[in-house]
Amino acid sequence: MSQQNISADAQPNVKYNQVGKSLTRTDAPGKAAGRTPYAGDYVMPGMLHMRVVRADIASAKLTRLDVTKARALPGVVCILTADDVAGREAATDIPGQTGQKRMDTDQQILVHERVKYYGEPIALIAAESRDVANAALELVEFDLEPIPGVYDPEEAMKPGSPIVQGIDNIVAEHKIRKGDPEKALAEADLVIENTFHTPFQEHAFLEPEVGLAWTDENEVVNIRVSTQVIEHFRAIADAIGVPHNKVRIRGALVGGGFGGKEDVTVEIYLALMAKATGRPVRLEYTREDSFVGHGKRHPFKLTYKTGVTRDGRITGMDVYILADSGAYVFLSPYVLLYGAVAAPGPYKVENLNVYAQAVATNNMFTSAFRGFGGMQACAAYEQQMDEVAKALDMDPIEFRRRNYLKTGEAISTGFVPPSAIWTEECVDKAWAALGEPTVSSDHIKIGQGIAAYQQSYGRLTFLHDTSECWVGVEMDGTVIVRSGVTDIGAGQISALGQIAVEVLGVTLENVVIYNSDSAVTPLAGTTTATRALYMTGNAAKMAAEAVRERLSERAAREFDVQVDQIHMAFNVVSVIDNPDKSMAFVDLVKICASEGIHRSELSMFRAPFSDYLNPETGQGQAHPDYVYGAQAIEVAVDTDTGEVEVLKSIAAHDIGQCINKAAVEGQIEGGTQNGQGYALSEEMLYEEGKLVTPSFSEYLMPTSMDMPKVQTILLESRSGLGPFGSKGIGEPALTPVAPAIANAVANAIGVRIFELPITPERIIKALKEKQAAN
Amino acid sequence: MPVEYELDIPQSLDEALNALASDNGSSVTPLAGGTNLIIDIRSRRERPARVVGLDYVSELRAIDCTSERVTIGSRTTVTDLLDSAEIAKAAPSLVDAARVFAGHMVRNAATVGGNIACGSPAADLVPPLMSLDAEVTLSSKSGSRTVALADYFTGYKQDVRNADELITQVAWDRLPEHSVNTFRKLGRRKGDAITVTGVALTVVVEDGVCQRARIALGSVGPTVFRARQAEALLEGKVLSNELFDAAARKAASESSPIDDVRASAEYRLHTIETLTRRLLTQAWARLA
Amino acid sequence: MSSPKKITLRINGVNETLEAPAHRTLLEALRDLGHVEVKCGCEKGDCGACAVSIDGVAVDSCLTLAWMVEGREITTVSGLGDIENPHPLQKSFSDLGAIQCGYCTPGMIMASKSVIDRNPNPTDDDIRVGLSGNLCRCTGYTKIFEAVQDAASVMRGEGDKQ
Repeated sequence: MSQQNISADAQPNVKYNQVGKSLTRTDAPGKAAGRTPYAGDYVMPGMLHMRVVRADIASAKLTRLDVTKARALPGVVCILTADDVAGREAATDIPGQTGQKRMDTDQQILVHERVKYYGEPIALIAAESRDVANAALELVEFDLEPIPGVYDPEEAMKPGSPIVQGIDNIVAEHKIRKGDPEKALAEADLVIENTFHTPFQEHAFLEPEVGLAWTDENEVVNIRVSTQVIEHFRAIADAIGVPHNKVRIRGALVGGGFGGKEDVTVEIYLALMAKATGRPVRLEYTREDSFVGHGKRHPFKLTYKTGVTRDGRITGMDVYILADSGAYVFLSPYVLLYGAVAAPGPYKVENLNVYAQAVATNNMFTSAFRGFGGMQACAAYEQQMDEVAKALDMDPIEFRRRNYLKTGEAISTGFVPPSAIWTEECVDKAWAALGEPTVSSDHIKIGQGIAAYQQSYGRLTFLHDTSECWVGVEMDGTVIVRSGVTDIGAGQISALGQIAVEVLGVTLENVVIYNSDSAVTPLAGTTTATRALYMTGNAAKMAAEAVRERLSERAAREFDVQVDQIHMAFNVVSVIDNPDKSMAFVDLVKICASEGIHRSELSMFRAPFSDYLNPETGQGQAHPDYVYGAQAIEVAVDTDTGEVEVLKSIAAHDIGQCINKAAVEGQIEGGTQNGQGYALSEEMLYEEGKLVTPSFSEYLMPTSMDMPKVQTILLESRSGLGPFGSKGIGEPALTPVAPAIANAVANAIGVRIFELPITPERIIKALKEKQAAN
Repeated sequence: MPVEYELDIPQSLDEALNALASDNGSSVTPLAGGTNLIIDIRSRRERPARVVGLDYVSELRAIDCTSERVTIGSRTTVTDLLDSAEIAKAAPSLVDAARVFAGHMVRNAATVGGNIACGSPAADLVPPLMSLDAEVTLSSKSGSRTVALADYFTGYKQDVRNADELITQVAWDRLPEHSVNTFRKLGRRKGDAITVTGVALTVVVEDGVCQRARIALGSVGPTVFRARQAEALLEGKVLSNELFDAAARKAASESSPIDDVRASAEYRLHTIETLTRRLLTQAWARLA
Repeated sequence: MSSPKKITLRINGVNETLEAPAHRTLLEALRDLGHVEVKCGCEKGDCGACAVSIDGVAVDSCLTLAWMVEGREITTVSGLGDIENPHPLQKSFSDLGAIQCGYCTPGMIMASKSVIDRNPNPTDDDIRVGLSGNLCRCTGYTKIFEAVQDAASVMRGEGDKQ
């Protein structure tokens, strides 16, 4: 595809029959009727109920653990402590997914001696009923002797600070350098420096972590679990000390993931208990368990120094990023790398220095969350763009316009994205749709803001990502798709169906998709990193195309025409130049079946492979490609109370090509809610590492009364690496929302709040300070 | 131990009062909508030995409006308030509060009596009721007594109710024609939010003079309370913006908020002042 | 301590019996009976995933004790319709993309039904207020608002607007 020919008005060059339509998702009717079983809906005869005993101090020594009373409670069947896991540890570093060598970042499965974060599991209880398990939870006795902890990454880096990880608490560092940033900043007309703070965030999926495990007749531990990553079966096997082929993950449709079910959650506890008791065991986290039981979004501190010319051209940039990795490493190094790569945003910065560090503390561990470091960077760089524009006394969009990275130009790592870069088109369309601002009144101030972004899709290319999918046609013309891909709610599996039927010329109601079983569905990789459509969609398309090719060849013989004359659509096979020559799809399939023509295919799609980035300069390829887009926001700020109402929220993204239009819009609308909460209301408050907001009445995501109707503008450059030129939207949907809101608030009240979330309290404080300064 | 308790389900008020009197009422708790109590029991904040469920005490679910007085049975739900055209006329502040009370399902279950009995300073129906000079009827096997809602709470989650007593109704004299009764709360979000600061206001004006002022404040002290000094600044006066400023400042000075996960004391003081001023100004504009 | 009691109730039009101790919530009881379409999201009335209707009134089943619903009529999302014959809300939610992960959907549809039952011609604001006790993390609510309006128009007999 020629990049030069991509324009914002590009129209699809083929008419698709299925792709691009807002078809009813294959999984929707069952969910609407309450017929879809989630992982927590399965039960088995003789099933035991589990609870997890957790530490209630963040940094402590376990000096006594006595489960005698709990064990003695009638109905308690088994209690496991660190003594029962024989010093085994669990991997936290993208374990088991790629076969690559892992970092030494393992985590104790149950507290042996040292508690490093609030909520760290100490013991596992299995009982005949929930009531008994709950009662036993209160009978487990333990003493924790507090040990000085560290709860601030800057403190954690100081000499003499308590050590949580390694020798100095620094768990990851990344550098990106190009050009001569020192010289550029020294010679700039103007250098603007600001520091931005982004907070912890909870995924807040509605379905808490849950699973059911049992050992089958082959001594295989089966785990029916809500997860984004069935490939964890390997890490689970390692953790419990059995061969990889003795653990089988059977997923279910997931009640929300957002990265929070990307790490192992309940699986190892279930597997251990199923092995120990020989009985089926079920573990469902309470909401409070969920709040303290899985990793959060990394808080970032980001300091930007931006050098510009008087006419608004960025000449150099220096960025320092500090991330709180919490008590264990998990995916911190990768999240940090995403942040570093994204640091300059969708702008051309020839002279760049990025230095990023992730530091361990006794806070809750932090790991994957939709946006994965890239969105924290965006929260800073897009506020910084507005601040620089303000210093230049220039319109913020005009300032951006003078600096946009264009199609064919290199990003921070020197890599040239292979697809279109339509930042400008997205910004202009979003801003135009926002329209004239509502009129401010006495104490209600109106503000408008924009934010653009660059967000990767697909995993880090040095991880050598692959994905498999199988497509087959049954003898009655129905289609089966098999893939290990997990569906976390965005329509991942329905999209595979839509791709397969487009290629095969049939319709979506004729497809059944089997997914998410580590033993019997071909492994697709993970549903993370905005990769499911890109990776598994391509695999599905390859498999369907292989089947179509064989069917077409047979049809061409039947009609005595060339293969390229065969048209397959809406369950009919016909000849392009002679539509009278046609047959039902099912009849062609029957002919093929009777002749032994292979009607199925297993395909593997391989993402581009690269070496690791240059460790000193960060130059090289980090990701397969990038998505670009923008969010425009209008807010009303009550200057008496600090309340913010989002009046308009407009998202414009170049998604390459829609597969399911309604699903794409839905992802964007949902990402907008997530970003709005991050910007305004969602706050995880910790006291000495202890979470003091562990419920949905304290941790406040936007409700139906808080959300505007989100307007979505879809641009289709058809230039992406995914099937039919698609890109991905899972993470990008969220990335620009918070800075757009922050910019709108700053526009409304004339003062910027450098720390998210922008609470009413912070607004009042900022307004008072502004008043005092005047 | 498991969250276990005896559960009585009386079919009448008499049965309910009998049940509350058993065990000398030592560890008995009445259960109405359950939207607070069930959570508190599960989390062990409350550990009753006996729970008396009031779902079937139907005589407590009633709204009675005469030309003089409004009487609400304690099992009346928040949704019942919203559905009542008479409450809309007689107690606008109560409707303001009911509309932003938790979420729809909770509004369908939560009751007027339960909202008072839970004793939370953030209970959203209490400031409006207090601004209406509501009186609470407490009944037990041995009889009934009436307490002004303004005198009902004695401290954080503490009140004058004896363990064998049940809140059976709330009542107040209807406001005269020239009056405004409103409520405004601040939460950390618009939907389903616990109150950060709440202000209920009643102003009665005759011949240009403020005859009665009631300012009831939520979430800025150990209990919901009336800002009596601020009220005193207004009563008997010809109202003005200067008076509103003074009353708003006074209301803040009468408050004793704390820092918690929702807001700081400082923010609460600021917003009590601004909300009080705003409600007074708006009330005055409507009365003028 | 309290001993279990036998409770008879109607669920989606069928008489069912359960045995439960006093502290058993309706949510737990329904799921134990196999009505796993009723979802557990928080057990504190904060999320609405467990919403069912009792004699036509939508409530959070996590805040309702099973003993209190003796003899009463419970409707869950599965009682409204099924895959072959969906209720207009189920059809609109499904067709208009108002469902993503689907975990909030059973409660969201029950709350939406309550909104329409109370007002067959709801405004957008009525819908917002009516659904504020039902959290959704996937959709941003935009398509849910559209689906409720669409279903309401179908239920008013205005035909399928799609």
